[in-house]
Amino acid sequence: MSSMTQEVLATIDDLQNRYIAALDGKDITAWAGTFSEQDEATYICRSAENEAMGWPIALMLDDCRARILDRITFITKIWKGTFQDYRTRHFTQRLSCEQESDTVFRVRSNFSIEYTLDPNASSTLATGLYEDVVVIEKGEARFLSKRAVYDTTVLPNYIVYPF
Amino acid sequence: MNMKAGAAPDLAWPSDVTDVPSEVFVRKDIFEEELERIFYGPYWHTVGHEAEIPNPGDFKTIDLGRVPLLVARGKDGVVRVFINACSHRQNQVETAPCGNRKGFECPYHRWTFKNDGSLAGCPGSEDFSPKFRKEDYGLKQVNMTNVFGLILVSLADNPPDIDTYLDRGKQNLEKQIGHKEGLQLLGYQKVRYGCNWKVIMDNDGYHAPLLHTGFRLLGWQSGGGEQFVRDYSAGVESQLVPGKSTGILKDSSLIEFKDSQWDAGSFVTGIFPATILVKHMDVISIRFPIVRSVDCTEIHYAYFAKGGDSEETIKHRVRQASNLLGPCGMISMEDAAIFRRIQLAAEARGTAIFQKGVKDLKSIPNQFLQNDESPNIPRWDHYRRLMGFSKKGEA
Repeated sequence: MSSMTQEVLATIDDLQNRYIAALDGKDITAWAGTFSEQDEATYICRSAENEAMGWPIALMLDDCRARILDRITFITKIWKGTFQDYRTRHFTQRLSCEQESDTVFRVRSNFSIEYTLDPNASSTLATGLYEDVVVIEKGEARFLSKRAVYDTTVLPNYIVYPF
Repeated sequence: MNMKAGAAPDLAWPSDVTDVPSEVFVRKDIFEEELERIFYGPYWHTVGHEAEIPNPGDFKTIDLGRVPLLVARGKDGVVRVFINACSHRQNQVETAPCGNRKGFECPYHRWTFKNDGSLAGCPGSEDFSPKFRKEDYGLKQVNMTNVFGLILVSLADNPPDIDTYLDRGKQNLEKQIGHKEGLQLLGYQKVRYGCNWKVIMDNDGYHAPLLHTGFRLLGWQSGGGEQFVRDYSAGVESQLVPGKSTGILKDSSLIEFKDSQWDAGSFVTGIFPATILVKHMDVISIRFPIVRSVDCTEIHYAYFAKGGDSEETIKHRVRQASNLLGPCGMISMEDAAIFRRIQLAAEARGTAIFQKGVKDLKSIPNQFLQNDESPNIPRWDHYRRLMGFSKKGEA
């Protein structure tokens, strides 16, 4: 493995860590900040069942940069004061990273999200696979697209935050 | 298959029509009796829509209460519903939530069934008992009916006439799912809520302008409408009119109405006991309930496009459905969050009291404005009578 690859992997892992730190820290603006500022940036979260059967429905379907920014509005303004909050802890494991061009990489990672709604009971919210397209922009890694495909077809709770 | 309902659980119902004892949400004995009387009783229960299994060999599995069902479209194109248990030793036959098969095989003794439910093969049958006749051992079929493609079943031998059962609700259903070119499945959102099934059905129209900040922020207003309540169906028909754009969303295309040719109105229909259908903006959704326990209800939000929709319209429906009306929906997540809080507070066994639109504490109302809370009253009175709960002071 070349030192160049090590450097790229470290950059990509840092992006993933920033992503989950933003979510677990409930900093939804920082979450949006992990995505590319290109209009084509997307975040899609959907079940493995829909994926396997070829059904297009998602749980969250932010198919452009504007929709990603609108998710901040959902959480901080539209839903404000209406739900019992919960904490999350994301765990990820990078499975593969393929270089598409000098600045574009395809990354696959397992994820598991533990959540705590009642303070005495933490449990699994969802597990699945992240399928990411990462771009290096101005020396910084960002998600051009992130797909969270969850195995937990029947979710255990209402969902406020992205996976 | 007729299950045996027991004696009504001991519960004194308050005398004012506005009052509902919260213990109906948390008592396990009441839930068990509901399974027998309601879910296994002479009522209709939705288990699917034909568009979920459009091709010969398509199937889905779903539970009615704790009874496993297999909904399958045979090679002959006919949809049938079976008990998902082998006719030999009652082993569960199909485990997948959905798929396509030429037939079903029970792995226990390798009995095989065609997708019309008939028994195809059973190894060693030459040694079977004198009462074995192959034609008697197909998968057990349950009573089924179909309304605008909606598949309803009853485990009882004497289900009521479906048109009488749906009553005014059928008119709403036609506007929601009665498109002449049929529907096509777009997919599901599935979730378990930590609440009793009645909590979800009790989620009245009154809260909408108060709980759903999104309506106000988006400048939406009701254009008037009506609520109706019958014994086995209830619903809302309204015109939700987008107001002036408030600019709160950067991508307002998400909340556009693009299929106004069909019907721009909003329709919500509840079918007793626990199914809700929603046609809101361009979202067509059926929420299939699975009652898991006294404090757990699973909902399968199934979303559809119309047959004949353009690619662009389907894409729009997928965007709206994925982001607006499910367990993570912009204007529905709050409902889901409330369900659990009602369940938790019901443990205090207080009394829920309806207020808005109530004129008389002793008579059951039958006229309602769109945002009245009073339509809950006849629904609860029907439930109370069905369960055999007497009012305080009554014999």
